[in-house]
Amino acid sequence: MIVFSQVNKFYGDFQVLKDINLTINKGEVVVVIGPSGSGKSTLLRCINHLESISNGTLTVNEVSVSDKKTDINKLRKEIGMVFQHFHLYPHKTVLQNITLAPMKVLGQSDEEAKKIAMKYLEKVGIAEKANALPSQLSGGQQQRVAIARGLAMNPEIMLFDEPTSALDPEMIGEVLDVMKALAHEGMTMVVVTHEMGFAREVADRIVFMDQGQILEEAIPAEFYAEPKEERAKLFLSRILNH
Amino acid sequence: MNFAILTENMDLFLEGFKITLISSVIALIASLLLGAFIAVLRIAPYKPLNWFGTAYVEFFRNIPLLVIMLSVYLIFPLKGITAGTIGLIIYTTAFIAEAIRAGILSIPKGQLEAARSSGLTYSQAMRIVILPQAIKIVIPPLGNQFINLVKNSALLAAIAGGDLMYQADLISARTFATMDTYIFVAMFYLVLTIPLSLGVGYLEKRLAKSN
Repeated sequence: MIVFSQVNKFYGDFQVLKDINLTINKGEVVVVIGPSGSGKSTLLRCINHLESISNGTLTVNEVSVSDKKTDINKLRKEIGMVFQHFHLYPHKTVLQNITLAPMKVLGQSDEEAKKIAMKYLEKVGIAEKANALPSQLSGGQQQRVAIARGLAMNPEIMLFDEPTSALDPEMIGEVLDVMKALAHEGMTMVVVTHEMGFAREVADRIVFMDQGQILEEAIPAEFYAEPKEERAKLFLSRILNH
Repeated sequence: MNFAILTENMDLFLEGFKITLISSVIALIASLLLGAFIAVLRIAPYKPLNWFGTAYVEFFRNIPLLVIMLSVYLIFPLKGITAGTIGLIIYTTAFIAEAIRAGILSIPKGQLEAARSSGLTYSQAMRIVILPQAIKIVIPPLGNQFINLVKNSALLAAIAGGDLMYQADLISARTFATMDTYIFVAMFYLVLTIPLSLGVGYLEKRLAKSN
């Protein structure tokens, strides 16, 4: 479904992504971990073309993301994204945040979009906040709205860019629960996170990155039991033993 | 103070007041729309548009308004009021574009990314997500520009625009009561600009509350 093939990306002379080869299949949950600055977020943001790749090929549903002829807005309809800092629209209500893209991009009627939005708000457990402004919500609630906003487009893929890193520790659970439920329903998910518990429990595959490279790809049981790469061992020992 | 100057020439003052008001309102609306457009050109992700926007702003804000008005008046077969108002729009647009651009740049980058990643086009994201937020931030500097615009409209007098200042020039030339005439004309300008100031202040408070 998502195929990186020999992808490189440079910021000037600095290489952010090095020879990335990665295939993500339909229904798979892939968790990308690694130290800060390792290129995890950049990798994720290339998938929906928030970042462009310098060379190599990257396809989503067999459509090239970097090809100038590709209608990027059409491609993005199929890819929901959840950000570290939520990025809800502060001047719109929760409901309007969710209905905006379905109405403008998919051409849904106001009524239809609202119905779908309410369905997803119920799913993430905050239907009662439909008419609140984002600023009246806690971080965890805002992130759940952001997930509902992504889902309302009925995408084939959901991207999560450190979705719990900006949250109070107490609120991480409620967001992870929504993500777990989504994974169990068979959504294709690519998740950049530091939540090792989530990765171990939900991921079909762990991708470990460092300095722009994928150093290791393994199923969670193997990865956590014994990572092959020294750098991955060091990384795990540092974050698990504190 | 010779109030007879005011009462005897009330019809002229009111005629000038009307022209200044009409010219200012038209220029205000037009330069707001055009300013938003030029601001978006300056930050759009296409270099040629950026260059055009920058060239527009740097050219028109760096030459005197009087030169712009005279040029429009002399090049095109237009009446003073029309040429003057167009000149006012061209000039004010450059300043408003800069104010709006600053406002847009103050909106976190993530807002545009969230909007674009949901499939909205650049212009949809700008219109629906970015500009409504930017406008709140831009209200105070826009208020300044609007007040300047009203006062700048006095240059219409130079091309027989029939505005307040033009009428004042006529009255003072005829009556020689120069001081009185211009004090009265100042009052008429205050009648326009003070409510504008208060209106902008009110808007600022109301929008601040809505967030």
